[in-house]
Amino acid sequence: MSLLELEAVNTFYGDSHILFDVSMRVEQNEVVALLGRNGAGKTTTLRTIMGVLAPGSGTIRLDGKPIGGLPPYVIARMGMQLVPEERGVFGGLTVEENLRIAALTAPAPWGLDRIYAMFPRLAERRRSRGGSLSGGEQQMLTIARALIRDARIILLDEPFEGLAPLIVRDLVRISRELAAQGRTIIVVEQNVVAALSFADRVYILNNGHVVYEGTPDSLHANPEVMKSHLGV
Amino acid sequence: MRSVVPELVLAAALLATPFVFIHLGASYDLMGRVLDWGILGIGFDLLFGWTGLLSFGQAAFFGTGGFVSAYLLVYHVIGSVWLALAVGTIAAGVFGLIVGWLAVRRIGIYFAMITLAFGQMSFFLENSPLSAYTGGENGIPGVPVPRIGFGSTAYAITTGLPMYWMLAAMFLACFILARRITQSPFGVILRAIKENTARAAMLGHAVPRYKLATFVIAALFAGLAGGLLGVLQSFMPPDAFALDTSGQLVVQTVIGGVGTLIGPTVGAAVWLWLRDNLQLIPEIGALWKLVLGIVFVVLVIVLRRGICGEIREIWRRRAHASAPPPAPVIAAEVLPLAAPLVRARQDAPALETHGLAKHYGGLRAVDGVSFAIRSNSIHAVIGPNGAGKSTLFKMLLDEVRPTEGDVLLHGSRITGLGATRTAQLGIGKSNQLNHLFLDLTVRENLRIAALARRRGPFRLDVLRPADSIAEVERQIDTVLATMDLGERANVPAHILAYGEKRRLEIGMALATGPHVLLLDEPLAGMSPAERTTTRALIRDIGRDRTLVIVEHDMDAVFELAERITVLYEGSLLAEGSPEEIQRNQAVQDAYLGGLREHEPA
Amino acid sequence: MPSLPLLLSQAFNGLALGSLLALVSSGLTIILGTLGVLNFAHGAMFMLGTYAMLVVVQATGSWFLAAGVSTLFMLLVGVVVERVVVRLFYRRPPEDQILVTFGVGIVLVEAVRAVFGSETQHLSTPSWGEGVTRLGFLIYPTYRLELIGIIAIALVALYLILYRTAIGLVVRAGIEDARMVGILGINVRRTFLLVFAIGVAAAGFAGMLYGPLVSVTPDLGDSFLIQAFVVIVIGGLGSFPGAVVGGLIAGEIISITSAFNSAYSEVMLYAVMAILLVARPQGLFGTEGRV
Repeated sequence: MSLLELEAVNTFYGDSHILFDVSMRVEQNEVVALLGRNGAGKTTTLRTIMGVLAPGSGTIRLDGKPIGGLPPYVIARMGMQLVPEERGVFGGLTVEENLRIAALTAPAPWGLDRIYAMFPRLAERRRSRGGSLSGGEQQMLTIARALIRDARIILLDEPFEGLAPLIVRDLVRISRELAAQGRTIIVVEQNVVAALSFADRVYILNNGHVVYEGTPDSLHANPEVMKSHLGV
Repeated sequence: MRSVVPELVLAAALLATPFVFIHLGASYDLMGRVLDWGILGIGFDLLFGWTGLLSFGQAAFFGTGGFVSAYLLVYHVIGSVWLALAVGTIAAGVFGLIVGWLAVRRIGIYFAMITLAFGQMSFFLENSPLSAYTGGENGIPGVPVPRIGFGSTAYAITTGLPMYWMLAAMFLACFILARRITQSPFGVILRAIKENTARAAMLGHAVPRYKLATFVIAALFAGLAGGLLGVLQSFMPPDAFALDTSGQLVVQTVIGGVGTLIGPTVGAAVWLWLRDNLQLIPEIGALWKLVLGIVFVVLVIVLRRGICGEIREIWRRRAHASAPPPAPVIAAEVLPLAAPLVRARQDAPALETHGLAKHYGGLRAVDGVSFAIRSNSIHAVIGPNGAGKSTLFKMLLDEVRPTEGDVLLHGSRITGLGATRTAQLGIGKSNQLNHLFLDLTVRENLRIAALARRRGPFRLDVLRPADSIAEVERQIDTVLATMDLGERANVPAHILAYGEKRRLEIGMALATGPHVLLLDEPLAGMSPAERTTTRALIRDIGRDRTLVIVEHDMDAVFELAERITVLYEGSLLAEGSPEEIQRNQAVQDAYLGGLREHEPA
Repeated sequence: MPSLPLLLSQAFNGLALGSLLALVSSGLTIILGTLGVLNFAHGAMFMLGTYAMLVVVQATGSWFLAAGVSTLFMLLVGVVVERVVVRLFYRRPPEDQILVTFGVGIVLVEAVRAVFGSETQHLSTPSWGEGVTRLGFLIYPTYRLELIGIIAIALVALYLILYRTAIGLVVRAGIEDARMVGILGINVRRTFLLVFAIGVAAAGFAGMLYGPLVSVTPDLGDSFLIQAFVVIVIGGLGSFPGAVVGGLIAGEIISITSAFNSAYSEVMLYAVMAILLVARPQGLFGTEGRV
C-alpha cells in the first residue's frame, strides 16, 4: 500500500473541469516530481491533495484512509503540508511568529533551534517582518514552516519559481538533503532540470491528464516525450 | 412587446385600496404615508435592488427635499406647492450629486459607511447649525396643502381622501417612470453592474457614471417623497433626517422584496400596519418592532427575496414551465461586426507594443517587450509560468497601466485610456475564467455586451425599451448563430454547461464588435471533444478580425497561430512562424529547465 | 473663547469618551479584520453590557461580581450570535452581512425594550467612584478618572491577547490570510468564533462602565455604533492600534469642539470620516488594497 494514492480524481474549479481521472501513487520516502506546462493541472493536483479544493469524483488515500473532501486543517494534522506557489508568508508577523504559528497544532514540532540550524539565514532574520524578506528567504521560511510541523509528506508547489540561480541552487541542495533524510516529497516544477535532479519518479500532466509515468532516467532516454509534453 | 400589466394592476390596486382598507382599520392618512414611503423606496430599490449599492443615508435626501420645500412654502418664498415640491426635489438631487460623486468611488462596506456618514452629518446640520432655517428639533410646522387650479376657484387638496388620491397619482407616476427606467438599456446595464461590475466595465460601460446617475435618481425620488411628507402631515419633522429613517427604509425594502419596485411599499404597509395595530393589544403592544426585527433577520438568512420577490418567483417559474420554445434564430449571413471607431492607418499593424514593461517594486513582471500583430491574423503568445503573459495581456487592454512603454491600436496610442475606453475603441477580451452575468439569460448577457459600443460608454436613455435598437438585436442574433447558442438564448446563464458558458464568454467579447479580440486561455478546462469544436470556432472568428491568443494547449497553438511570440521571465525570447519556434533551441530550453544557469552545481 | 478649566475638563472628558470608543472600536475592528464582517449590532452589544451590569448590581450590590458575570454574559451572547447567525454569512456578499447584523441589532434592542421598557433606568456610581478628585486647579469626577484607568487595563489585556498569545497570533495571521492559516493545521472557524465573542465582550465591557454616566435606555448604543465606525475609518479597518489611537482622537474631537460649539462637533466628526473614506480609505494604520 502506498503512502499516498490518487485514483481517478476529477477536480473542477467552479464547473471548469481541470483534472481528468488523475491517478498516481507516492511511496514512503520517495521524491515524486509532477511536471507539465502551466495550465496542465499541477497546482490543482496539489491543492486537491491538501484539501484546498475538493475532488469532484475519485478517491484520495493517505495511509489507506480516504481524505477526499476533508478540510485542509484536518489533512495538515494528518502529516501533510503544502508549500504553496504564492508562498503565503504572513507579512505582518515576524519570521519567528510565522514559525510558531506553524508549530501550533503539530503533534511533535521541531524546536526552533533545529530549524535555525538548517536555515541560518532565517536565524539572522528571526525578528524581521515576513513582508520584508526577499523572495528566496520567504521560500526558505515556507519550507521551514512545513518542516517545523515535522510533516510526513511535503507538497512543494513551484519552489524555485522567480528565484535567482544561486538561491535555486541552495534550495535544491536543501531539498536533496530532505529527500536523503527520508522525507516524502511531491514537487511541482516547471524547471524540469532542477526537479529531475533529485526526484525518484516522475509524472507528467498535460491538459489535466496524466500522460507519462517513469523515472528521470527513462525520461532523459525519451527526449521526444519531454519535448512534446513539456516543450514546444 | 413590453407588458403594462403591472402598471394596470397597480392602478387598480390604488383605486381599490381606500375602499377596501378603510374597513381593515387603516386610515387614509396611513395609506398616504405608506405611499410616501413607497416613493422613497422606489428610488432606493433602483439603487440597491438594481445596482447593488446599499445606502444607509437616503434620509439625507428625504430630509433635504422635505425641508427645502417646507421652508419655501412656510416662509412664503414660493406660493405654489407644486413648484416648491419641484424645487425641493431638485435640491435633493443636487445634494445627491455631491454625495454620490464622493460615495460611488467606493464599494461594499465603504460605500455604506460613506452614505451613513452623510446621513448623520445632515441630521446634525439640521438639528443645530441650520436650525434657524429648519426649526431644529421642532421642525417646520404649517406646511400648506396643494391646490389644483388658479385663483378663487382653486381646489385645495385637503387631508384625508383627497390627499390620498394625490399621493396615489404621484406614486403611480413614479412607478411608471421607474419601470421604464428598469426596462431601458440604462436599466439593463445597472443590473449588469450589480451582477458583475468588473465585466460591465471591461465591456466598455462607464460604470462610475451609471452609479452616479442612479444615485442622483434615487436622491430625486427621496427628495420628492420628503416634500410630500411635509405636505401630507402639514408639518416637516426633523426625524426625516434620522438614521432610523434610513434604517426603516432598508428593513421595509427587504421585507417587501428587494428589486421589485413595489417591495418597499408593501414593506412599509406591513411595518406601519403592525405598528398601529399591535400597539392596541396590551400585552404585546411594544413588541411589534421586535417581531419585525426577527422577521427581517429570518428573511435575510433564509428567503432573501421578500414578500413580493417570492410572489414574482412563483409567477416566473409558472411562466417558464409553460413557455413556448424560443423562435429559431435566423441570421442569414454572418454580418460584419461593428465599424472601427479608431481610424485605422492603411498599413499599420492592428496592435503593437513598444518597450512595454511592468515593474512591481523590484520585480520585473514584463520588461521591454516590443512586437507587432498584423491585421486579420491569428497571433499566439506563449511562455512558461511566470513569463508575464497575463500581465502583458492586461496591458494590451490597459486593464493594467504599464510602467513603461506604449500600446498602439491601429497606429493610435491607447496606453493610459483604461479598459472601458479601449473596449469602446475596438479591443475585446474573453477571460480565462468565465465572467458572465449568471442570473441573466444568454440573450441578455449578449445584449449588455452589444450595447456597449453602439451606445457609447454612457447614455441616459432611460425611457426606451432595452430591446428597441435593431442593430443591437441583429448583432445578438449573429453571435448566437456563430457561437451555436441559439437554442439556449432564453436560458439563464448559470444553467449552461461549462462548454456553453465558455462559448458565451467568448461570444460576449465578440458581441462588442471588436477588431482585435484577445482570448485568454479559451480552451481552459475543456474536455478533448470541446477543444476540437472550439478550435474550429476560433478559426472561424479569426477570419474577419485580428486574434491574439494566450494558450497552453500546444496542439491548438500550433494548429491555429500564424505567428507566435514567446515570452520568458518577462522578456521577449523569440518570435516567428510556428515552424521557426519549434526549431528554436532557446525556446525548448526555456520550457524544459530554465536554460543553463539553473542547472544545480 | 472657553476658559482654560473648561477646556481642560473637556480634554479629560475627551479622554474618557475616547477610551470608551477605543475599547468599543477595538472589538469592532478585530471582528471586521478577521471575519470580514462589519458588525452593525455592535452598538446593541454595548447597550447589553450596560443592562447586564444594571441587573446584577441591583440584584447583588457588588460591582465586582457584576463585572465578572456581565463579562461572561457578553462572551456567551457573542458565541450564540456567531453560531446562530453570523457564521452563515461568511461567504455571502458584504451587503448581506451588513443587513443581517443590522437586523440582529434591532432584535437585541427591541428585546431589551420588551423586558425593561423604554423608561430610563439609573445605575448609580459605585461607592469607590463617588465624589471628585483634585488635579491641580481642576476638579474632576473621580469615576471618570477610574473609568479611564480601567479601560486602559482592558486595552492592555486585549493587546496582550493579540500580541502575546497563540490565539492572538492566529487572529493576526487570519486577518492577513485565513486560508493559509487553515493549511497550517488550524481550525480557522473556531478562531472566528472566539474573535467575535471577544470583540462583542469588549463592546459590552465598555457598556458596563458607561452606565453611571448616563440615563440608561435601550437606545444608548446607537451613537456609539456610528462613532465607532468613524473611529475604525480613522484608524484603519482591521487595525487594533488604529482603533485605540482613532478612538482617543475621536473622543477629543467631539469633546473639545463641543466646548466651542456643541452643534458642530458631530458634524466635524462625520465630515472627517467622509473625507477619509474617499481620500485615504486605509486610515492611519490600515493596509492599502483592502478596499
